[in-house]
Amino acid sequence: MATVAATDTVNIVINDVDLQVPKGELVVEAVKRLGHEIPIFCYHPRMKPVGMCRMCLVEVGFKQPDGSVRKMPKPQAGCTLPVSEGMVIYTDTEMVHRDRKGVLEFLLINHPLDCPVCDRGGECPLQNNTIFYGPSTSRYIDIKRHAPKAFPLSEYVTLDLERCIQCGRCVRFTEEISGDAQLAFRFRGAAMQPSTFKLTDFDSKFSGNVIEICPVGALTSSKYRFRARPWDLETSEGLCLECGNGCNVWLDHRAAKLVRVNGRTNEAINEEWTCDKGKFGHDYYNSSKRLTQPLRREGDRFVPVSWGEAYAEIAAHLGAKSAALVGSTVSNEGLFCLQKLFKDGFGSENIDHRWTRTLPAAGERVAKRHESSIASLEHKKTVLVFGADLANSQPIVHLRVRKGWFLNETRVVVAHSQTTDADSFANLLLSCKPGSLDDLAMGLERAVAEAQKTDVQGFASFKDTEKTTSVKESALREVAAMLLEGNASIVCTASIYNENKPVETLAALAKIAAATGAEFNVYAEGGNDEGAMALGVMTGRNTHEILQDCAMGDLNALWLVGADPLTLHPSRRLAEDALEAVPFLVYQGLLECEAMGYASIVLPMEAPGEHDGTYTNIEGRVQRMQQAVKNPGDGKPAWRVFSELLVRIKPGRPSFSAKEIMDEIAATHPAFAEATYDKLEKEGTPLKPVIENFYM
Amino acid sequence: MSDFLQLGSPNERPRAPRLDELDLKFSDQALAELDELYSHYPDKKSCILPGLWIAQREYGGYLNGEAIAEVAYHLKRSYAEVEGVATFYSMYNTVHAVGKHMIEVCTCLSCQVCGAYPVAEYLKKKLGVGFGETTEDGVFTLHEVECLNACDRAPVLQVGSSYHGPVDEKSIDALLENLRAQEESTVIQMANDIVKVQTGPLKSK
Ligand code: SF4
Ligand code: FES
Ligand code: FES
Repeated sequence: MATVAATDTVNIVINDVDLQVPKGELVVEAVKRLGHEIPIFCYHPRMKPVGMCRMCLVEVGFKQPDGSVRKMPKPQAGCTLPVSEGMVIYTDTEMVHRDRKGVLEFLLINHPLDCPVCDRGGECPLQNNTIFYGPSTSRYIDIKRHAPKAFPLSEYVTLDLERCIQCGRCVRFTEEISGDAQLAFRFRGAAMQPSTFKLTDFDSKFSGNVIEICPVGALTSSKYRFRARPWDLETSEGLCLECGNGCNVWLDHRAAKLVRVNGRTNEAINEEWTCDKGKFGHDYYNSSKRLTQPLRREGDRFVPVSWGEAYAEIAAHLGAKSAALVGSTVSNEGLFCLQKLFKDGFGSENIDHRWTRTLPAAGERVAKRHESSIASLEHKKTVLVFGADLANSQPIVHLRVRKGWFLNETRVVVAHSQTTDADSFANLLLSCKPGSLDDLAMGLERAVAEAQKTDVQGFASFKDTEKTTSVKESALREVAAMLLEGNASIVCTASIYNENKPVETLAALAKIAAATGAEFNVYAEGGNDEGAMALGVMTGRNTHEILQDCAMGDLNALWLVGADPLTLHPSRRLAEDALEAVPFLVYQGLLECEAMGYASIVLPMEAPGEHDGTYTNIEGRVQRMQQAVKNPGDGKPAWRVFSELLVRIKPGRPSFSAKEIMDEIAATHPAFAEATYDKLEKEGTPLKPVIENFYM
Repeated sequence: MSDFLQLGSPNERPRAPRLDELDLKFSDQALAELDELYSHYPDKKSCILPGLWIAQREYGGYLNGEAIAEVAYHLKRSYAEVEGVATFYSMYNTVHAVGKHMIEVCTCLSCQVCGAYPVAEYLKKKLGVGFGETTEDGVFTLHEVECLNACDRAPVLQVGSSYHGPVDEKSIDALLENLRAQEESTVIQMANDIVKVQTGPLKSK
């Protein structure tokens, strides 16, 4: 137990043990300090208590001046009762056990008890509590309530209404955490059912979480339904790389096949949530389109070759006039080895991993991309979300910002030309005309400057700003005032580079941040994009230039590392021309894709959960994911391909493991100094802030 | 009960109306009443119940999906939340459309002792409908309800805002006669009465 200042604690007794706990702590939390447990259903530590299920009943009394204990006549719900001075709590008396038995008997009246065919069987709180505290038989002989089984609430969530014990966790989740308020209880009594409006689709970006928090098997995953029993599953600690947030997940696998992804607690990042992209977007692991062996083009078909043959072919074709385009799920180790291979092996520096419309040159890049950690966002007084659709591109950041708004009175300002999910709770909405974010940023800069009475020469007048952006002067001034109150954070994402004049926009925002003392963030978008930036992967020609060079015939070879320009690049025309024209194309990836049609050599890649590696999330936190499942074919992790090829071109000492490479990264990149495998912390290690910005 | 457990075939599942598809029906008067309500409560969430009464009146006594969506739209709450509230309370008609007059027969203890069941049977026979059904001409809907808190007048019927009791076959005949002759729907009348009280002047302060 952490030591707490004496004034804020109260003395209580739990099961005859005296202890001090913070004032106002809930009884259900306080008993955890002794390692005791109160059974619960509806209570969830991350949501407000509602006291709906009565499972948590305990006996409570108060110390009297004469030393005796006066018990309350009725049991109390531990999940809604805060501790107070002199409170005496019993969690293990006969009365408590009788009450628990009674509550469970009631809950089971309408429950179908179909555990043998229930997905939750084996990891079900209702099952566990019944075994520990419940009656062994039922006295209920009437007909149970029946409802249709397996009703699909959405593509991902299937509702088995009969099993629902009406705890309200799912309903509260959509109200308190995800904020889309998609679920509500309809009707009442035994007919009460968690449901969407008129049974429409459960349309949420976070719907998968309700499956995990449902204490029974009422909400099940449509994708995992009947795929495995929990006791057949093995699980590994994994990371989600669908976006750059770096959520911690459990990768549950059975017979070497990934079958389920669940949220894993990391207080610094995702708490325990996941978004639906991460939870359900893992089809590629078991896809029939997985590449399983190296292929070489012969005429208009591919023939399988050995890795050695593939390497020889590549070594023969790649040289100084080659380039690489990288996707967002390559590990830090992979990126580092790729860079080394190109520099030392081919003598080329043309590597890029960015796919936005504007690609700022080194000098124009924002130096600090993540001043606010994800966790800190919930304690800000003001958060200005500028030109970012957080729910889509940074789902976990979105949840944090909303949490701040919901619990800590964070004021949220959303400035965007499109509607976003955050609009629904924004305290102030600056919705500007499409393409006018740059003017809006300048307008805001002027408002801040005026509020601080500094020189406003050279700025557009508020009238002009209103004309171009449709945002009023008063709104801008209000935001400026909010930022100036301190403890503010400005949140942008790399998607701003798809807008007009992003460099100017970001410069204006950076100035605003400097003037107001606000923290400034331009979060990266893809899985390990922040890692690529921190490692300084792009040094030579940028993505657009590389593709143009290919199209013009200035490059002899292009290597696609887990990236398909045809879908990623904003101009499909250019991507097509480039792939068409480049004489030698290497496609290295997980799945068959369109770009593969242009390739001379195809290399199978291992998915992130199939090998050891570290990834850097948007806030510069380096986390390691170990191998969870085996590659279905002959795939190799990207780093191994690069380093094996390098020793063939330039004989030297090869790297044998990801760990060795990380040591090398730590030795050469000051920011990664603390990120070696033996030093990595459980929650991930934040990059060391480096004064001299080596990647600029 | 299976009436209430509404899980249809997923293929027939409706889609939540988008804002631009909502066919807003609230009259100017209703909007003015909503404005009045906002001044009675600290936030719009608190206006859900009175807002639903307005909708019940505006939509002819039945809160269908559109009515609920319109309330949610005006109060800036989620559709699901408003529907959850509306379906919780039995005086909001959310399960099926109702006729011009709704006859609610109390069959709770005191009324039962005083002959609520024969009364109910008589009504059923006379109207040719069962509980929860509406006559073919759309004039009467029959409902069974729990204690109406008027046990001194058992057996009791509620029609709109008024109670009738004790009733017997003769008084029921007369009542039905009167209701048939009445132009205005007592269902809507009652909603209107409630709205009037709720939007009326605040007593305290
Ligand atoms: S579906 Fe599950 S989480 Fe939702 S109310 Fe029922 S038991 Fe609780
Ligand atoms: S856990 Fe306390 S009432 Fe449900
Ligand atoms: S039992 Fe009918 S009014 Fe009370």
